[in-house]
Amino acid sequence: MGRLLTAILVSAALFVCGKAVMAHHSFAMFDTENPIELEGTVQEFKFTSPHTFILLVVKKDGAEPVTWNLEGASPSALVRDGWSSKTLKPGDELQMKIDPLRSGAPGGAWGVQKTKFKDGRPIVVSH
Amino acid sequence: MRHRSTIGVFTLIAALCMTVAGARAFDESKYPNWKGQWLRVGGGQGAPWDPTKPWGPGQQPPLTPQYQAIFEANLRDQAAGGQGTDPSYRCIPVAMPRVMIAVQPMEIVVSADTTYVMLELFSMLRRIFTDGREWPKELEPSYAGYSIGKWEDSDGDGRYDTLAVETRAIKVPHSYDSSGIPFHEDGEAIIKERLYSDKANPNILHNEITSIDNALTRPWTVTRSYRRDASPRPLWSEYVCTEDNRHVRIGNENYVIAGDGLLMPVRKGQQPPDLKYFQQTQR
Repeated sequence: MGRLLTAILVSAALFVCGKAVMAHHSFAMFDTENPIELEGTVQEFKFTSPHTFILLVVKKDGAEPVTWNLEGASPSALVRDGWSSKTLKPGDELQMKIDPLRSGAPGGAWGVQKTKFKDGRPIVVSH
Repeated sequence: MRHRSTIGVFTLIAALCMTVAGARAFDESKYPNWKGQWLRVGGGQGAPWDPTKPWGPGQQPPLTPQYQAIFEANLRDQAAGGQGTDPSYRCIPVAMPRVMIAVQPMEIVVSADTTYVMLELFSMLRRIFTDGREWPKELEPSYAGYSIGKWEDSDGDGRYDTLAVETRAIKVPHSYDSSGIPFHEDGEAIIKERLYSDKANPNILHNEITSIDNALTRPWTVTRSYRRDASPRPLWSEYVCTEDNRHVRIGNENYVIAGDGLLMPVRKGQQPPDLKYFQQTQR
C-alpha cells in the first residue's frame, strides 16, 4: 500500500512538472477554454521573475503588426524544462497556442508544450 | 612556566568540553535526513491548496457563510479577468501556509535549536524554533509567521521522525491558494503541521497541515507531499518578484503593463485609471 501510494505520488509529480505553472497569481485572467494560435517573430524574451515573457510580433494580412505580450512560467520552472535565458532570441519565428487575456487585449499565457519554431521543430530537444 | 602550562591544560580541557557539548547539542543521527531539494507533489494547473481536489470551488473549503460569500465574489471577479482577493499578484508574498505548497523548490536544514525551511518562491525563510521556548507575549505579524516546533519519535526507535509545528502571527490578508480562498481578516489563524518521511520511501516527505481560523466552521486539514530531487547537485534559481512584475493595481482595478510600457486592460470593457491629478497639472 505504501509503495502504491509512493508510485502514485511520484507519477503525479512527473505530470505536474510537465505543465506550465503560474507561481504568483491566478491564471483565471486567461481564457483557457478558448486558446488561439499565433505565428510571429520574437521581439524579446524576458527570462525574469515572477514570470517570463515572450513579446511576439504578429503580422496578419494587410494589417499593422501587433506585439503580443505572452506570460509564461517562472524561470525556475522553465529551467526544469531545459530552458534558459538564451533559448529564444530576437528574430526567432514561432508558432504558439496561447490562452488569451479575457479583455481582448493582445496578451495571453504560453506554455512550453504548445510552443514550437515556425517550421515545427521543438524549442528544446531534450529535457 | 609551570603556571603557563596549567593555563594551557585548562584551555585544552575547556575546548574539548565545548566540542563535546556541541556534539551533544546536535547529534545528526537522531534526526531524519531531509537534506536536498524538495519539489511539490500533486495538484495541477493553478496549484490548488488541497492537491486532491480541483482548483477553485472544487476545493470545498469549510468557510463560514460570510467568508463563503467573500470567496464566491472573488471567483466572479477572477472569472471576469480580475485577481479577486489574492494579493500575491502585486508581489505581496504568499504567506503561511500557502507557501508550503512549494510551487517552487524548498530546502530544509535541521539543527538542534532551529529547523530552517528555505523556499525559493518569494525567497521566503521559515525559522521553526525547536529550542523549547515559550510563545512570546507579543508577536509582530509576518508573512512566514512565528513557528515553534517539537521533534517526536513516533515509533520509539530512538530517532526523531516527525516535526510537529505550530505557526501564529501571520500577516493578513492572505489566501490558501491562487483561487483566493480567504483567511479571516482578524489575523488570528493558527497553522499546525506534522512533517514526516514516507514509511516506504524516504525521498517522499508528507506534511499534514491543519488550519484553525475564524473564517472556517471547523479546522481544515490538508496533506501535501514533496519528493526529493534525485540529483546530488540540484538546480536552484533566484526568485525576485519585483524584478519584472507586470501586474499593477491602480485605484480598485488591476491592469497589466505591456511590453511597450503602457497599460493593458484585463477585463472586457475595463476603463483606464482615473487621471484627475494629471488633468489638474495641465490646467
